[in-house]
Amino acid sequence: MEESPLHPFELHNYIPLSIGGLDISINKAVILMWVVVALAAGLMVMAGSSRKLVPGKLQSLAEMLVDFIRNIILDTMGKDGMRFFPLIASLFLFILFCNLLGLIPGSYTVTSQIVVTAVFACLVYGLSLAMGFLLHGAKFLGILVPPGTPGWLLPLMIPIELISQLARPISLAVRLFANMTAGHVILGVLFGLAISGGVMIGWLPFVFTIAMNGLEVGIAFIQAYIFTVLTCVYLGDAFHLHGHDDHAH
Amino acid sequence: MGTDLLAALIVGGGLGWLADTYLLDSTPWGMVIGLVLGVVAGIRNAYRAANAWPSQPEDPERKG
Repeated sequence: MEESPLHPFELHNYIPLSIGGLDISINKAVILMWVVVALAAGLMVMAGSSRKLVPGKLQSLAEMLVDFIRNIILDTMGKDGMRFFPLIASLFLFILFCNLLGLIPGSYTVTSQIVVTAVFACLVYGLSLAMGFLLHGAKFLGILVPPGTPGWLLPLMIPIELISQLARPISLAVRLFANMTAGHVILGVLFGLAISGGVMIGWLPFVFTIAMNGLEVGIAFIQAYIFTVLTCVYLGDAFHLHGHDDHAH
Repeated sequence: MGTDLLAALIVGGGLGWLADTYLLDSTPWGMVIGLVLGVVAGIRNAYRAANAWPSQPEDPERKG
């Protein structure tokens, strides 16, 4: 009966598959990702199919989502960030649905695997680097020199900026992964207490489990939001090199 | 924000360690300097992340 609270994060292959030594077995996380993609795409397609002037319930939900993401982009990147809207909206919806579906008991939280979050973070950061070099050429290296740095500080500032740039994808990946994993470990421990406590005292941790689950729903939204905002901030940094002043905060 | 500090520390220490082992053969110093720079970079990142936060969507002053 004693079970490690990390047990739910283990993955077992349902259908072992391998192409040229590359392991592409089907496991719970893969299936959950398919479900997430189907749900997110299904919701948006269903909502967009009617296109009424006075929206129904589903359509107004989708419009709220789109407007929410649009506001994030306009606030952090300005108008020309809107060309990234499809990417950022897909990222937000995918992460949000992964986080939320993971809260259903018995399902699996895809975002609690650091592989998944790291791939997203590398994608976002690689895109911001590619955009920066494409738009600004070699001048993009100037991102390592904050505006207004006196010349004698350059040998100190460049390594610091280099480290802070390289830390971005890591912190982006670890933040989402750690938040989701920690939340589920807490849920697991509390529920384990409820089981082992019996009826007399076990109801107390059980109530906490329910309360934590509600809190985790909030965290699922907040973490998806944070990931999206930081994606926008990083892309925006590559976009307007030092030119944040036109939409200063 | 805590993740920012940790990530920069890992990158700083890692770069210092790499420089130590593969480039300079200067074992502890590269990592020491890297860790110190990592702390600075982490604080800088956390500060920047806190500043870059967008205002609330319903904030009427930000519409213009």
